Amino acid sequence: MSMPHMTPAELRQHATFTALMWAFSYPGRPQRLPAAGLAAFVAIGETLLDLETGFFTPHDDLVPALAATGGRPLPPIHAPYQFYPQLTLAELDLLVTAPLGTYAEPDRGATLVLGCGFAHGTPLHLSGPGLAQPLTITVARLPDELWRARATVAVYPLGWDLYLVDGDQVIGLPRTTRVEVG
Amino acid sequence: MSLASLAHPRQDFSYGFLDAFAKRELRRRMLKAIAIPGFQVPYASRELPIARGWGTGGLQVTLSIVSPTDTLKVIDQGADDSVNAANLRRFIARMTSVATTTDTLAATVIQSRHRVPEERLREGQVLVLQVPDPEPLRQVQPDSSRAREMHADADYAQMWLTLYEQLVRFGRFMQGASYPVLVHGRYLMSPSPIPRWDTPALHQAAHLTLLSAGREKRLYAVPPYTDVRPIEFEDVFFQVENMAGRICMLTGARNKFMDELPVAEGGSQFRLSDTGYAAKLLRRARGDAATLGATYFDDEGHFYQPGVIRAE
Repeated sequence: MSMPHMTPAELRQHATFTALMWAFSYPGRPQRLPAAGLAAFVAIGETLLDLETGFFTPHDDLVPALAATGGRPLPPIHAPYQFYPQLTLAELDLLVTAPLGTYAEPDRGATLVLGCGFAHGTPLHLSGPGLAQPLTITVARLPDELWRARATVAVYPLGWDLYLVDGDQVIGLPRTTRVEVG
Repeated sequence: MSLASLAHPRQDFSYGFLDAFAKRELRRRMLKAIAIPGFQVPYASRELPIARGWGTGGLQVTLSIVSPTDTLKVIDQGADDSVNAANLRRFIARMTSVATTTDTLAATVIQSRHRVPEERLREGQVLVLQVPDPEPLRQVQPDSSRAREMHADADYAQMWLTLYEQLVRFGRFMQGASYPVLVHGRYLMSPSPIPRWDTPALHQAAHLTLLSAGREKRLYAVPPYTDVRPIEFEDVFFQVENMAGRICMLTGARNKFMDELPVAEGGSQFRLSDTGYAAKLLRRARGDAATLGATYFDDEGHFYQPGVIRAE
């Protein structure tokens, strides 16, 4: 019997999953993805999407790459995985309709992958599981209305689980993370 | 472009035994489990060359997260060398090329049946616990659908009533292993049949804990630095097993979780349950190099986080 080894796709998906797992485990700490820019969104898509799931993205260039995973394009009100490389205020109106899950099935709350910048921007004060101490990060290119919507639309255990992507870096903000702006 | 350049060499098995769809589904569920601490996420538990009930839940999680750069430790009731642990370790190593160890400090992934190692786990380590029954409400609500409604409503009154009845009838909490805990103040969770001794190790831990029940097709998680509180009353506290006065017959260690060994002439001897830790103590006693990590309980029996075990 030959020893199984990772194919290039398996290697890429494992590296992406590991980054996503630690990003949710330690919110606010950047993790490295095996791809950068729009390719990072594709890497997350191929790691999470297949025939059993669906996705939404308003970014036309991403649709073919995400559809190639077998995942179904769905409207934002139904899509469990949503990708917004450049979230605008108009797209925020779509995002706020994303599934929150139900009390019986909170795991049906959507996972949102958002493009942004970490070098400067709005300070976000984080606390909650995964954080031994409160932590402050800065995030640019995301409308402040997103944080207001996240705080008011969903009450734990319902909610959205966020991945923020800048280049090849990803920060996880699961629904348990309390975010205070400013 | 040729077909050969697009295809990878033929393999007898997929990496990690599970096919790509199975791993992707498990990974999706694991991320949701981490995002909702203590909530039981359903998953399509796959067939494995090991019978359900023998660690297939933990095995599927481990096969989905390890890579050749990881170092794996597998224990069964604290022992690295039990049949179950040895079989699982050999299978995982064959399917993933992962390095194996018996040293808790060297491991990046630790799969365990019914124990947390004595040495404190650190950030970046993953503890995978095998779970026979993930439902902490089973003893008060045998209907799984109704139990899920109770979780949705955070209706845990029957568990509190059970605790109260135990106190009235027996004068103490009678639950041994699988002592129910409240995670992040929301979900009641079975920490798997770890002894009460190990339960506080999950509270505000630096490591990630993934729990998976293959037969019941449920997995759940405790992220790092998350509140994990055993249920207790304000005036009657949760207690761990009393290990005072028990001294390991091999290493002389005290105030650690011990296996009890009956002796022919009556009475008992005791031996460290964590065989990896015991081996390091023995190596050090012989004068060989062995790095010992800080333990959850010190030699006086005090837990490393003051105030967590209020009965101390």
